[in-house]
Amino acid sequence: MSIFDYNGGGIVAMKGKNCIAIGADRRLGQQMKTVSTNFKKIFRMQDNILLGLGGLATDIETFSAEMEYKLNLYNLRENRKLKPTAFVSLVSSTLYEHRWGPYFVSPIVVGLQDGTPVISTYDSIGCTTDTENFAVAGTAGELLYGLCETYYREDIPAEELVEIIGQILLAGCDRDALAGWGGVVYLLTTDNLHIRELKTKQT
Amino acid sequence: MSRRYDTKTNAFSSDGRLMQVENALEGINQAGSSIGILTDEGITFACERDVSSSLLELSKHSEKIFCLDRHVHCVVSGLAADANLLIEVSRVHSQRFRYSYRENIPIQELVRHVCDIKQRYTQVGGQRPFGAAFLFGGWDKTFKFQLYSSDPSGNFAGWKAIAIGKNHVAANSFLKENYQEGMTMTQGLDLAVKALCKTIDTTNPSPDKLEIMYMTKNEAGELVAKTLNEKEVLELLQRNNFQVKQKE
Repeated sequence: MSIFDYNGGGIVAMKGKNCIAIGADRRLGQQMKTVSTNFKKIFRMQDNILLGLGGLATDIETFSAEMEYKLNLYNLRENRKLKPTAFVSLVSSTLYEHRWGPYFVSPIVVGLQDGTPVISTYDSIGCTTDTENFAVAGTAGELLYGLCETYYREDIPAEELVEIIGQILLAGCDRDALAGWGGVVYLLTTDNLHIRELKTKQT
Repeated sequence: MSRRYDTKTNAFSSDGRLMQVENALEGINQAGSSIGILTDEGITFACERDVSSSLLELSKHSEKIFCLDRHVHCVVSGLAADANLLIEVSRVHSQRFRYSYRENIPIQELVRHVCDIKQRYTQVGGQRPFGAAFLFGGWDKTFKFQLYSSDPSGNFAGWKAIAIGKNHVAANSFLKENYQEGMTMTQGLDLAVKALCKTIDTTNPSPDKLEIMYMTKNEAGELVAKTLNEKEVLELLQRNNFQVKQKE
């Protein structure tokens, strides 16, 4: 079994019209045992940047802490906020710093740069992919792709995007034994960040 | 050959004093002054800008007041380059603590870390001490609002009100007479600006030479830090009956 499948999870992110949404399940497992149903996989890095992480849970926690560390120091030294595109590069370079002892994470960075949505995914050693439409990560990733392809279209308005992401997450994670047990969707618009919790069947 | 003189920088003089440290302290006393006041509602810092030439390209952030982390700020007196290095050290130390414990670093721990480094340069290596003194102010859950000062010797102390830099003796005796327990932030600001104007040579202070900021908790209980803009500094000076010199 792969180390990336040990804790389980499903993350999905999608671009909308001047907005962006990212959703994740809430399960923390140890192979087939479920240990927690409120494990955090999406982290608010800045007002306009979110980081979603799939993969090994301990690395999810540590990697998000390391990114927060770097981001805080940037804010203090530069006296300004980090641009989403700069954060995308920072994640990539941080992952590569651990080239020979990598974090077992599948990051998705989601941001709004001057109102324009930005999504990037990476492999565990920092290969960046700037996606045009949506991104998935976690054990439920492949299952989420199908639903994303079906429901995605250009310029989805914000209210609809939350619904879509929610439905994709629920349906996709339902098929995966290692992902599910609740969901949370973060909607990022130019005005604010809206967080919605999803209730699921207890499976 | 120069090694003959190296050991002298950190050696005791015949009457048990460290001359280099004392010289560094003297250097601070020539620098632009900084005042810190601790009130029940928070902390206020007031300081005099060292250089105020019209040719200077004013940067967006302060040259004297620095944020070390979300819950702690510091004010510098002395050599800016020395201070900048120590500020970088404190920022990294604070983030490392946050990385390990996922919490704000206790203020005293941060101050102690900086002071331990300063002390090292008074004892080891033959290098000169840091020519920078700080006032640290912030909030943590153990001791709530706190105000500390540190000097080139590596010594630090907690204060209710403190002045460092030029004319600090006069400012400190003024603070001692006029400090009261249980002041509001407004009273703290008034006291700070009065003490600061005591240290400045002119009787009509100009707002662009002063930098004033405060840290307090808002209604939601969150810690906020605010630097007064030029208009607010002007109002503060006028409220305290200072004749303000208009900018040429």
